[in-house]
Amino acid sequence: MTGEVIYRVNFWGLEHNGAWETVGHVFAYFILPLCALIMLARFFLHIRVWWKVGRPDRRWDCLGTRVGRLIQYGVVQTKILRQKYPGIMHVLIAWSFFVFFLGTAIATIDADVPILFGFSDEKPSLILNGGWYLFYKFALDTFTILFLVGVLIAAFRRFVQKPERLTKTGSFVFMWGLVSLFGITGLIIESTRLAAVAQDTSLQPGWHEGLAWSTPAGWAIAKIWLGAGMAIPGLITFHNVAWVVHACFVGIFFLVLPTTKLVHIFTSPLNTFFSKLDRPVGQLAPAVVQEGGAAGAGKLSDLTWKQLMDGDACTECGRCQDACPAHYAKTPLSPKELMISIREGLHGKNGFAKTGADAPEFVGQGVADPVLWSCTTCGSCVAECPVLIEHVDSIVDMRRYLLFKQRADAELMTVLGSFRRYGNSFGQSDRKRAVWTKDIVPKVKDIRKEPADTLWFVGDYASYSQTLVEPTQMTARVFRRAGIDFGILYDGERNAGNDVRRIGEEGLFEMLAMKNKQVLEKCEFKEIVTTDPHTLNTLKNEYFANGNGKPVPPIRHYSEVLDDALRSGKLKVSRKLGYTVTYHDPCYLGRYNGIYEPARRVLEAIGCRIVEMPRNRSKGFCCGAGGGRIWMNEEVVKQRPSEDRIREALALGSAECFVVACPKDLTMYRDAVKTVGAENKLRVKDLIELVDEATAEAETAAPAVETAAAGSTLDKEADA
Amino acid sequence: MNIAVPIKFVPDLVEEMEIDSSTGKLDRTFMRLVPNELDEHALEQALILKERHGGTVAVITLDTGDVDEALFTAVAKGADRAIKIAGEGYAEGVTSHACADLLAEALKDGSFDLILAGTQAVDDLDGSVGALLAAKLGIPYVGYATKVVEAGGKVVATKEYPGGLLAEIEVSTPAVIGIQAAEKPPRYVVTSLVMDAMKKAKIDEAEGAAAGLEGAAEITGMRPPEAGKGAEMIDGDANAVAEKLVGILKEKGVL
Repeated sequence: MTGEVIYRVNFWGLEHNGAWETVGHVFAYFILPLCALIMLARFFLHIRVWWKVGRPDRRWDCLGTRVGRLIQYGVVQTKILRQKYPGIMHVLIAWSFFVFFLGTAIATIDADVPILFGFSDEKPSLILNGGWYLFYKFALDTFTILFLVGVLIAAFRRFVQKPERLTKTGSFVFMWGLVSLFGITGLIIESTRLAAVAQDTSLQPGWHEGLAWSTPAGWAIAKIWLGAGMAIPGLITFHNVAWVVHACFVGIFFLVLPTTKLVHIFTSPLNTFFSKLDRPVGQLAPAVVQEGGAAGAGKLSDLTWKQLMDGDACTECGRCQDACPAHYAKTPLSPKELMISIREGLHGKNGFAKTGADAPEFVGQGVADPVLWSCTTCGSCVAECPVLIEHVDSIVDMRRYLLFKQRADAELMTVLGSFRRYGNSFGQSDRKRAVWTKDIVPKVKDIRKEPADTLWFVGDYASYSQTLVEPTQMTARVFRRAGIDFGILYDGERNAGNDVRRIGEEGLFEMLAMKNKQVLEKCEFKEIVTTDPHTLNTLKNEYFANGNGKPVPPIRHYSEVLDDALRSGKLKVSRKLGYTVTYHDPCYLGRYNGIYEPARRVLEAIGCRIVEMPRNRSKGFCCGAGGGRIWMNEEVVKQRPSEDRIREALALGSAECFVVACPKDLTMYRDAVKTVGAENKLRVKDLIELVDEATAEAETAAPAVETAAAGSTLDKEADA
Repeated sequence: MNIAVPIKFVPDLVEEMEIDSSTGKLDRTFMRLVPNELDEHALEQALILKERHGGTVAVITLDTGDVDEALFTAVAKGADRAIKIAGEGYAEGVTSHACADLLAEALKDGSFDLILAGTQAVDDLDGSVGALLAAKLGIPYVGYATKVVEAGGKVVATKEYPGGLLAEIEVSTPAVIGIQAAEKPPRYVVTSLVMDAMKKAKIDEAEGAAAGLEGAAEITGMRPPEAGKGAEMIDGDANAVAEKLVGILKEKGVL
């Protein structure tokens, strides 16, 4: 064993080896840098349309947070890891790529800095010697193994499993083939070198077999060559040929990157860097208003550069499609395909990527109207997207344009007319909004006339729907039981406009919001409470977004209020229910506002055992009613998401109750449980019905609400 | 063609109607007035004709109160002009005869080739304004039209008759056509356009004569329809129900 310190030999096998030396230098110092430059230039030309066509949008602020997002989502890739199999597959390949890139960069610095500064003779290697070199080799070698494992997992997924959501085109096979060959040629280069060095250690001073641990994969393969009796000259030639092939692959990789799926290596991390920071997920940007009152995005040039970037950032992983209720329903919408449409519109031959009056309409031609109308705005796609694409914002922008052009469902337009005239979707008189209170004694406070702690913003469904009268009255009763001092707006309330806005009727949303805010301003209260997650979302995220310095009142969902009342003991449980229940997370409560636990805590407090459906919390599956879908014709819906959800709950086997915390959900799932034919197996219950039942006895003597005094228990209902 | 669309404001049936016991008429104090539905169809048909053949559309209404928003909405939908006739006593309601008189006065200058009116209104107690208007102007009238086509300076209206009969009637212009339904449901125009119209458009205001009662039917009293005696619910299984039903039908002399 010599005492010589091992170091990295630059251009091993090529240098001082006749023509190979020239070949090596030409590749390393000319061809590959040129390819890299071409790549950067082509990438620049490819993405230039973003800002040439797209509207401006300020996404350069808060650099620290943006870099943080880039690291979290683009480098560490936490969101990709939300799904195990594809997540592990991707990070094995991606992290290895980062390591290889870093390794190459270090090697370049290590070898070329001494040459540049003219001290290469005394110190051929700057950093990569001794322990550092061994660590460097070990890291690269380990990641080569991980890389090849990732490539194999990818092959199994693409060629054997073939999940529906993947785009199955030759382009992906090409990309897969190219990166696999990277790894394989890399291993050949290393193993042939090791096999030669093992026969003559002078080929790499300082090497001895005791250091082979630092290159486990390379050494394992080197032993094959040694076993085959390959001699040094053959090994060196083999090594050099593999080196050139490897370099060619790198060159090809650079050249094709900007126009193949590989471009996501750049666009996806960029997308995470420029993702939405200025507003919460539940807040839409105002509509672009053009001359003559036109609103929304009809042309690609009406979208922002970031919305165009979304199209290029899409990796076609299809997670959005898997989670999408509209895709489940077999409507023409797949969020993934929508992003591909934007990309193709931007780079395709149809000339959508233009600005000005003669630019062709993208909406209708590049993406069909029914695609946009199929969206329930549930936000699953946004929640699932590993690269932070904002599908819903773009869909709403394009809907705004469709509506402006009167290209919408006739039924939907009738409902919008009702909203505008009466302030509700039921086409009923605004004066009848509080009819549900008429039997309640003492009368529910009119908060416009007398102050109360809690302003209960009742919402349309809870106010007008015949089937929801009872749960709404129960809410009033339970609030009283909990000692909550509340009042309502009576006919001063209008629909809050959450869904109106997501339909794309921005002007109507503004009108409804203005009327509501005018009434709210005149009332005295400490907080706003609502049972409707849609109302909650817009009140919380949109009404006071431009607060003009005024304090925003706290806005809470009744599940939070009940949770508080039960925990503080203001609301006492008189009877532990002992039911086994499952809880459905409403989209606008959960995914949009992150309120997952209060309802669950309430259910536990009243003695229910919760069994979770596979799709729970941020993966909660939409009932299909959001984004105005509840008012549109069901022609495009081939199977109902709500029925699928009921089947998901039935599959748990043990759940007796399907608990919801949203008036629209109660309507949707009471229907679905009937159409599925599972009324006898599963009871759809609003959270308030269970809370009412669990807290009832204490006041059976003097019910606060006379009409609903029957206090229905599950058993009674089952008998009926 | 230059088309005029008279719009009548009628009580919104979404609200509960009440009768003022002192006058025996509808209590208008809290009444919400909305454009008559068939007039909205007439406007839609007029806009379709304009889109197809060019020309202009003017909406005209009597100022019975709160009419501006509907007029601006019509402008946002594509009407070129909005005319409001104000006058004494309009707010208490105008009979169809008086309405036709006032509209005839406003439209008699002959600047319109075609007048499209809703063929009837939910408040009609006094005949159809369209027909009365045509008579006052001395021009042809076709009512219950479901389609209007322009053809060489004339119009062809498709009129529905009972029993599934359709007639195509060619009339020379100027003429009044009473619209039963437009080719497609009235359009919804986004609020931003209505707001834009409110900012930019101007309503032409004209002064009309006081609303008279001449020629109109005299209303002596009003009362809500009386509720029936109610239905009898037959309980039991299918056989028992059938037996009982047969018994009742025999008793009533139907069988």
